[in-house]
Amino acid sequence: MSMDLTTAGLRLGLVEFNWTFVFQLINTLILYLILKKFLFAPVTKFMQNRENEIKSQIQNAKEMENSAMTLKESYEAKLTHAEEEGKEIVKKHTQRAENRAFEIVKAAESDIESMKLNAHRELERERVKAVNELKDQISQLTIMAASKVVEKDLNEADHKELINKFISEVGESQWQN
Amino acid sequence: MGTEGFGPRVAFYIGDIPVSETVTVTWLIMAILLVFSIIATRNLQKEAKGLQLVVETIVKVINNLTKQNMGEHNANFAPFVGTLLIFIGVSNIIGLLGLRPPTADLNTTMCLSITTFVLTQYFGVRQKGLGGYSKGFLEPIPFLLPLNIIGELANPVSLGFRLFGNIVAGVIIMALLYGALGIFTESLLGFAVPFLQAGVPAVLHVYFDMFSGLLQSFIFTMLTMVFISGAME
Repeated sequence: MSMDLTTAGLRLGLVEFNWTFVFQLINTLILYLILKKFLFAPVTKFMQNRENEIKSQIQNAKEMENSAMTLKESYEAKLTHAEEEGKEIVKKHTQRAENRAFEIVKAAESDIESMKLNAHRELERERVKAVNELKDQISQLTIMAASKVVEKDLNEADHKELINKFISEVGESQWQN
Repeated sequence: MGTEGFGPRVAFYIGDIPVSETVTVTWLIMAILLVFSIIATRNLQKEAKGLQLVVETIVKVINNLTKQNMGEHNANFAPFVGTLLIFIGVSNIIGLLGLRPPTADLNTTMCLSITTFVLTQYFGVRQKGLGGYSKGFLEPIPFLLPLNIIGELANPVSLGFRLFGNIVAGVIIMALLYGALGIFTESLLGFAVPFLQAGVPAVLHVYFDMFSGLLQSFIFTMLTMVFISGAME
């Protein structure tokens, strides 16, 4: 390496190929390696990593949102289901209660009906019994009266029948109701 | 080689090999980018802010640009595309610091465009096989083979010269302007106080260094992506 005053003002040609070409070729290669290693590789890698990280974070957030939505939907469905079930239960029980009430009323009605019927029957029986007793008593009274009047003339058995027939004929028409 | 003209100055010699200011400025840019890369990516936080936001944006934009122009499967070209974009971009605007842009040297631009050309051929052959790639030169009709070859060879030349031409034009115009302004102030005042040079060139710096420079770095990078992915399709 030498430098003296005579070369200080010296210029190379404006349009010519010289050693500068070789220097610049090497310089360009070195600059390429410098920029690749110290600028592009680290920055591109860094940005790529950050992008991936953000992407994965967004992905996670989306997944969480999805699962939250699924949960929400299932809860809503459960809630709706529970509501419906409640309604169903109320309806069922109302129905049953109504049925039960209807049955009770019906049973009560039939009870009343049968009690009425029984009462009627009892009444009828009592009436018949009373009529029969009355008939007996009348016939006895008649016989007694007749025997008092006729004394021995009257055969009790023959006349009883006769009188009974008479009374029953009269009675039938009189006791009918 | 001489003392006149607009060629790059020789900074020093290694043996007999002259090292021009193109190379030294390139080393400076490399050092700046190395330090920037290390500092900016030293402590990456999940929540980006400050310098990290800047590098993340740069890397993201270049990654997306590569994917858009070359397809998702060619995303690993991003460091190369980014090297071109960042190196050419920084080179073009370093004129603002009073340094000579490395891209104002045909050796730099042709070095980059020939790299693109070699990569284009390499990935074309790797993707389609030598036969399949060569067959592309016979399309649409075999008669056009010479034209196709010339067209392919013209790509790196036009790529390199476009960038070189644009940047060196800016350098020359700015040098002429500074010279003219210097002479103008000297004749105006009678002594050399370059006060006109303080504000007047700013407008042209904005155009040549900022606008044209960034535009050319973008054009070079876009064409590189188009060539390489075109050869692979």
